[in-house]
Amino acid sequence: MNAQNEPNDETNYDTMSVAEFEQWLPELFAVGGGKVSEDPRFARFLAANPDCAALVRDLESIAETAKSLFDPPAGGESGGMEPSDKIWSNIASKLQAGDGSEDEDK
Amino acid sequence: MQSKPNPGFFKRNPPIAGEAEAIERAKNGDPDAFSVLYALHKRRVYTLCLRMLGNVSEAEDMTQEAFLHLFRKLGSFRGESAFSTWLHRLTVNLVLMHLRKKGLQLVSLEETINPSEEDAPKRDFGSRDPQLTGSVDRVTLERAVASLPPGYRMVFVLHDVEGFEHNEIAAMLECSTGNSKSQLHKARLKLRELLQQPEKLPPLPGLKEAIQ
Repeated sequence: MNAQNEPNDETNYDTMSVAEFEQWLPELFAVGGGKVSEDPRFARFLAANPDCAALVRDLESIAETAKSLFDPPAGGESGGMEPSDKIWSNIASKLQAGDGSEDEDK
Repeated sequence: MQSKPNPGFFKRNPPIAGEAEAIERAKNGDPDAFSVLYALHKRRVYTLCLRMLGNVSEAEDMTQEAFLHLFRKLGSFRGESAFSTWLHRLTVNLVLMHLRKKGLQLVSLEETINPSEEDAPKRDFGSRDPQLTGSVDRVTLERAVASLPPGYRMVFVLHDVEGFEHNEIAAMLECSTGNSKSQLHKARLKLRELLQQPEKLPPLPGLKEAIQ
């Protein structure tokens, strides 16, 4: 059976096929705030399809951990996460020379 | 006078102590205050550039450009969003402009930076595929993100790390929101694949080495 292009108000998520789930997953993540595993509409389907449930769990775990990357670790943890000192020296000398505005089309 | 900020903007990027005062002083031309802003935001801006560009030298150049641009534009910051959100959007736009100048067309993600078949995540939904064991740690994820094809990496970093919405990403990358959603999903699938064999990821004594 070909999957529908998009789920709609009539969609019965309990009986959707794995192919439909696969096709709709990017949208389901986007509209559900990224928490497909906690959405009661998909509970029965995920309970009946453990591989799909595992996939959802993994993708949610990746997205959750990604939030922690926003703040780069301090120096020691993985090193190399801050620009070298010469960058500030360059900026300061350009500002001092009053040519900060000349970098627009560099 | 600053307009009243929307509290929702600060969910991900809460104001940093001393930041508001430094912004106001820097707006009035205090050079020490600008150095405070640089110190507060240099790592985040640099890391954003590094993740988007995958190259230390270019990331440093763009960090420099971003702060010089910030210096020129600071007067237009009205506090309607978190300062870091505003600064990061400014940085993303500069990096994208840089990439366009370099000839990497981002006009159509689908046609240009869409990874090749070989780079795309391999999905076979009918069969059992390996699952991740346990939670994902941030250092391993950082290594995996650095290994993503550029098109996937861009959308993943903008959405999942930086917290931009699909409509914002679509506007920045000049693609459809559907394309942004689809690229993000493929990026996460690819990351899952990469994280199943973390020993094959490039070593990460520092992010610099990992993505060069």
